[in-house]
Amino acid sequence: MASEHTIPRTREEADLHERVRALLDDPAQRANPMREALAELLDRSEEQRSRLEKLVRISDGYHNVSRTQNIDLIREYDRQIMRLEKLARISDRYQSQLIALNDELKTLTLRDPLTGVGNRRFMADRLREESERANRRGVTYSLAILDIDHFKTVNDRFGHDVGDAVLCRVVDTVRSCLRDYDVFARWGGEEFIIALPDTVLEVAAAVCERVRREIEVLNVSCDTVTVAVTASFGLTEHAPGENPSETINRADVALRRAKDAGRNRIVRTEIS
Amino acid sequence: MGNRPMNELNIEATQSTPSVSADWDSGVMHIAGDSFPENSFEFFAGVIDWIERYLASSGRPLHLDLRLMYMNTSSVKAMMDIFDLLEDAHRDGRAVEVIWHHDPANERVADLAGEFREDCTFPFGIEKDGV
Repeated sequence: MASEHTIPRTREEADLHERVRALLDDPAQRANPMREALAELLDRSEEQRSRLEKLVRISDGYHNVSRTQNIDLIREYDRQIMRLEKLARISDRYQSQLIALNDELKTLTLRDPLTGVGNRRFMADRLREESERANRRGVTYSLAILDIDHFKTVNDRFGHDVGDAVLCRVVDTVRSCLRDYDVFARWGGEEFIIALPDTVLEVAAAVCERVRREIEVLNVSCDTVTVAVTASFGLTEHAPGENPSETINRADVALRRAKDAGRNRIVRTEIS
Repeated sequence: MGNRPMNELNIEATQSTPSVSADWDSGVMHIAGDSFPENSFEFFAGVIDWIERYLASSGRPLHLDLRLMYMNTSSVKAMMDIFDLLEDAHRDGRAVEVIWHHDPANERVADLAGEFREDCTFPFGIEKDGV
């Protein structure tokens, strides 16, 4: 209502108002020539006052509306932030699940499921890296192909379970003879590759000899039978600038010679 | 009754999108599979539209049956939007329910469903399949 005073009168203003009102009402002043003009002035003043009050009221109203809107916006903003955080949280979890799954798949594609060592693909990748490293930095590595002697006979005579047990025990034995940074993988069947980074042929030959002896004294017990096996080695050293398959081929030739020479031995091929 | 076909929603699963089937008469919607479409907004627009129309056109309950595995970020966003729709309907006194099924071997999916369920006040079950 317009009668609500949003701007209270000051005491002086109220006093003045009373005095003017009293003068206008005074019968003795009825003939005063200023009376009519004063009455009009007072009306104008009151009118201005109520206009001003209306203006303030409306203005306050707008202010309130915008304040409410602001609060609503802040609330909505907070809600959206919370949603976004939830979205990011859930999305991050999906992502880490995928990463874990990816790792799992990678392991599956690069590991030999029976023995747990790397498979052919793993070794091929590592040999490519190793060759690049050797060529770039002018370092070397030695490579041995290890083949379990007469493995087919073990399988035929004692069955695949015994054959598998032999493979696993040989793997454990080889691993125990290697350094952490040597690379070892099942190349296929009963064939394994050992790559010895930063190792010259002479040192690699000593490592292979230790592995050969350890395998020779190994007795694998499985299903009431105990089997002893030996292994043959073809050993070579990476030649500057060559790719892995050239190195492997040379080791393979050496392995054939070891087999032909009666097995359970190491034959090395020097770089020509 | 004339616009019955519009009320049927059947989307076959693809490599990157889940299968969706919705039955207007029973008020049941199934979504199952992986969801990482190139355009999640486009894919879920039809799903959200169906739910909005169903909730607007009758007072009957809505049952959402989920078997979702992997979801990309925009699909997660779409599911949150769907749950918001259900939450609003629930606050209006509507009977809505979500059951999120998962493989017993994949507890991670259950954890994620739990994340979705946070701040939902309508019935939201997370159930192991075949148990």
